Amino acid sequence: MTPVSNRVRRARPALGTFVEITARGDNEEKLHGAINRAFNAIARVERQMSFHHSDSDVSRINREAFERKVTVDPWTWRVLRAAQKLSHETNGIFDITVARRLMQWKYLPRRYANVSEGNWRDIILEKNYGVRFRQRVIVDLGGIAKGFAVDRAVKALKCAGVPSGVVNAGGDLRVFGLKSELVHLRHPAEPMRPAGAIALRERALATSGIYFAQKRHGRAVISSLLDGRTRRCSRKLVSVSVAAPVCMIADALTKIVFVLGEKSAPSLARYHADALLLERDGAPSWMFRSLCDTSDRTGFD
Amino acid sequence: MTHIPRWILPAAISVTVPLPSYAEQYLTVSAAQKLCFPECDQFVPAHVKFTPAQIKAIEANSGQKQLLRGQEIWRAMQNGKLRGFFIVDYVIGKHLVIDYAVALSPEGTVKQIEILNYRESYGGEIRNPDWRKQFTGERPGSRFALNNGINNISGATLSCRHVTEGVRRVLTTYDACLK
Repeated sequence: MTPVSNRVRRARPALGTFVEITARGDNEEKLHGAINRAFNAIARVERQMSFHHSDSDVSRINREAFERKVTVDPWTWRVLRAAQKLSHETNGIFDITVARRLMQWKYLPRRYANVSEGNWRDIILEKNYGVRFRQRVIVDLGGIAKGFAVDRAVKALKCAGVPSGVVNAGGDLRVFGLKSELVHLRHPAEPMRPAGAIALRERALATSGIYFAQKRHGRAVISSLLDGRTRRCSRKLVSVSVAAPVCMIADALTKIVFVLGEKSAPSLARYHADALLLERDGAPSWMFRSLCDTSDRTGFD
Repeated sequence: MTHIPRWILPAAISVTVPLPSYAEQYLTVSAAQKLCFPECDQFVPAHVKFTPAQIKAIEANSGQKQLLRGQEIWRAMQNGKLRGFFIVDYVIGKHLVIDYAVALSPEGTVKQIEILNYRESYGGEIRNPDWRKQFTGERPGSRFALNNGINNISGATLSCRHVTEGVRRVLTTYDACLK
């Protein structure tokens, strides 16, 4: 085992939030180099998967994939494929075409007109990273790409020889290496206060809460967390955290748990994930616990 | 605790907020300079105090209020040649001030952004006893004690909008003062 003596921690604004990277190792200069690479990986995800940048893959397919096949970055294609798989498995609860509704509700900028009512089934993924739409739908990868970015950053750190660390993209995070990390969860009623903490090792954790994103739309209170089948927002739960082996899955599963509540247990089991719900008063309840224990007590000495 | 030079800030921000806070110093100014311009051997301070005309121009072009009275700027030099500008700026995050650095090319395009100091106010301890059940296997004196500092936070995403806006303002500052 490499002796771990230094810890380097840096943060940059990216993916619409603060991305913090912690790397442990013996050579500080090497750690900085590795962190640079990890930030570059995140920048690539943002460049290709942002709804806001007009030359991203996502913007290109939203503009053109109805008319012609659009070739995308292999990373974008992988995220689209994972999203399609989740949509299939949840019968459309997870659906990246809810972008239409998010645009109507001004969670996303109004960049497209004449968008059709379609759903995830209108997205066709072809060989050689091709994407086509059957209808004039639009997609937003906001519910899954941030987790994917965290995974790419972790991969970059590992490839650069970093033995352990944490990548945290505004609350969606992944802990890798031998060291266990304590992660505090924001209190749903007072987000600037921690509600509690859990220990993680070799695991990702993502949280979706409606506390920062709730707003009024006409007479209704809305949030950006939608049920893809009904296109209505689910406001029964307040804060959902999902732990999973990789962050992309944890990120996407939070949306599914938000809608399905305890009925999401089979989805969680399939991905070796578990979920922690917080009530308004901050009280935690585990919904499902997989065989991979989230609070890794063996790492406590 | 703040390292912000007094002359940079208006009274409104320089008042320290007496709340328990989570503060992380990611990089010192000199460490960030070396990371942003690894090829450079010299960072020459070129701080500016804004003239009223400059403040007007920055506010008009950025569409934002210029709360700072000046800007800390360094010229990044390699063998006497200008390789870019290193600018430290301050914005209010959720409640508290965030210090960050913007590295610009000589032509004024953004090369890199690094957060230097991040602060959030927190009501320190966790009151809910249910949480302690999570740690039944914990030994006393373990370094994972609950009242230890906060290292990692998960929660609904906190927007970095203020920093993004700050960077836009810094770019208009470049236009007004450095071009």
